Amino acid sequence: MTGSGSLDRRSSTVPASVQALGRRSLLRGALGAGALLGVPTLLSSCGGGDAKPSGSGGGASAKAGPVKFGMNEAKGSGPAYERLSAMADAYAKKAGVTVSQNAVDHNTFQESISTYLQGTPDDVFTWFAGYRMSQFATNGQIADLSDVWPIDGMSDAFKKSATAEDGKQYFVPSSYYPWAVFYRKSVFEKNGWSEPKSQDDFMALMKDMQGKKITPFAFAAKDAWAPMGTFDILNMRLNGYDFHMELTKGKKNWDSPEVRRVFETWKTMLPYQQENALGRTWQEAATSMAKGECGMYLLGTFVVDGVPKETQDDLDFFTYPALDQSIGADALDAPIDGYCVSANAQNEDAAKAFITYLGSAEAADVANNSASAPFIAANSNASTAKYGALQKKSVEVVQNAKSIAQFLDRDTNADLANTVITASLQEFLKNPDKIDSITTSIQQQAKSILG
Amino acid sequence: MSATTAPPVPVTQGRTVERGPSGGVLNRRRGKVATIIMLVLAIVWLFPLLWALYNSFRSYSYTQTNGYLSFGGWTTENYSNAWSRGNFGLHLKNSLLITIPAVVITLFLSSLVAFVLARFSYRFNLTLLGVFLAANLLPPQALLIPVFRMFREIPLPTFMSESGTMLNSFWALILVNTAFQMGFCTFVLSNYMKTLPYEIYESAEMDGAGIWRQYWQLTMPLVRPALAALATLQVTWVYNEFFWATVLISRGNKLPVTSALNNLRGQFFADTNLVAAGSIIVALPVLIVFFVLQKQFVSGLTLGSTKG
Repeated sequence: MTGSGSLDRRSSTVPASVQALGRRSLLRGALGAGALLGVPTLLSSCGGGDAKPSGSGGGASAKAGPVKFGMNEAKGSGPAYERLSAMADAYAKKAGVTVSQNAVDHNTFQESISTYLQGTPDDVFTWFAGYRMSQFATNGQIADLSDVWPIDGMSDAFKKSATAEDGKQYFVPSSYYPWAVFYRKSVFEKNGWSEPKSQDDFMALMKDMQGKKITPFAFAAKDAWAPMGTFDILNMRLNGYDFHMELTKGKKNWDSPEVRRVFETWKTMLPYQQENALGRTWQEAATSMAKGECGMYLLGTFVVDGVPKETQDDLDFFTYPALDQSIGADALDAPIDGYCVSANAQNEDAAKAFITYLGSAEAADVANNSASAPFIAANSNASTAKYGALQKKSVEVVQNAKSIAQFLDRDTNADLANTVITASLQEFLKNPDKIDSITTSIQQQAKSILG
Repeated sequence: MSATTAPPVPVTQGRTVERGPSGGVLNRRRGKVATIIMLVLAIVWLFPLLWALYNSFRSYSYTQTNGYLSFGGWTTENYSNAWSRGNFGLHLKNSLLITIPAVVITLFLSSLVAFVLARFSYRFNLTLLGVFLAANLLPPQALLIPVFRMFREIPLPTFMSESGTMLNSFWALILVNTAFQMGFCTFVLSNYMKTLPYEIYESAEMDGAGIWRQYWQLTMPLVRPALAALATLQVTWVYNEFFWATVLISRGNKLPVTSALNNLRGQFFADTNLVAAGSIIVALPVLIVFFVLQKQFVSGLTLGSTKG
């Protein structure tokens, strides 16, 4: 992913047939009746692609109509709700239709998603990219949106994130947030530290922190998902993005020497992490970084919510340095949020017209102009005027990254992530010497879950 | 402590049978031990509640910088924030619309069943009671999928449910709660009704009272303490019900207040003091019901227990 100029060029100058080639070859690799059945529709959608005016997106031709919008933020719960609601209102005004909003709090929405989709889902609903999305595509619970793509201002990386196993798009990205190593500028300045550029810098920095009685890394594992961030980044730094993605899809083994090496490396890093992490929430870990007890904290940008107001402006971050020069440091976790259309939407055309609007730069600007805090828009044409310093830097970091992962619990099967891997990572933190038995057990369960 | 220091056994006429040879149900030493055990248990039970109450009056930023084992940072803002952010007004109304009909219908239906089971002896009386009780023991989770699919297929006119099916309607929750609570209520009420002297019914019949009249004008007033006790319990249970609400309702503005507590948590960030304040708000109606009906509750549950 490069600058926004080249992104536009990608979507407007590369002929649709060339883009389709990638999809077709992807398809050839896929086996199974579902994929075979998908061929004719895929070809016809490619044919349609040629006729489309480039860059504007096919969804623009879909006729607007009344839509129901399922939002994963409770009414009045803060900026995230304000943004969604503002976009829905702006669209209702612009298209002259009614958008009925259904606001459910984030965690309830996510936990009851399968009954939601099987029951009476809204036409368009907020969801996440990655395996979490493609799972529903495979089950036929969300609608094919390949005629909404390409979307003006959405880079190829985002298109990839919206693509399911069958090579078609089922998702429209809205925003994202990167995971990186956060620190307090004033603490670094006071101690004469600087952002490490290489592994040697990094190790020297951590040693120096320890010498000054500051724990290098804040760390928490009470929120079971939190340690996944460390696993993701170590795996991507040691084995590369492609290996990481194949591992999450079950194409590589969890008991392979590569994964063991990740745990071995993590074990050597444990002395640099806060102890007794299992009883600590990420908010407490963030607080200890804010107090200067810990030097750094690897977390998503939401870390700012966990530190006191007066320290928020003092935060800065850097991407995790390379641990292997041949692999480099160009991959990172940056979970993407966005929207899907449910398969049994009452009016699919109206849903597609709405979702096209939601993916546009215009919608992102409406959202950011009316909410008390902005999101980082996936659409590169969106205005960055409202962004804070951390967000501006996030954009830069993500644009410089070659590959973007979605975070382990979004990249793999939810059962595997939430029951097996969370427990195994906590087990590892308790008994770092049991790497062999832990990796073997993950592999056995991964095999039975992913098949 | 020697036996000589034990107080003389107070002998009350007619009550001596219940006192053991060691001097009463509780002599002083046993009484002390029992008091200490109860005190410890009470503290264990009350501590989390009092801790939540304490922290609900403190600001998050204060506890964040000073830790929870500190004193200060007093504020009442958590309550006003929780009320507005959680939309408690709307959700309390939803809970009310679910709880009151569910409790009334449950008590009415189960008193009808209990009356028949207690007053008439059919061969399958015991079996019927057993079936009601067994259904009560069935975990609701086991019925999740059948009930969900059934409700999805049952059409309702749009003035009763926006979605056109039982899903996302209060009717679904009222029905489910009624069904799940009926077993227990029937059991308690039928046992209670069995303690009513049979002669009353004989004389009622002599005076020409029909079955309906025997039920409505004779039995119902007599079981009022039991009904009050059950109403207290049922209000608490139905109000606190969380599982079915999250399964059957997927529209944010229809969720009852227990699910609305989740509104106070963000995607990642949770202000625990705010959540504590919200929990207190949510718990208040139940506490009020309990304290107001406390007398009926205790007397209703124990009345009849000695008569078998």
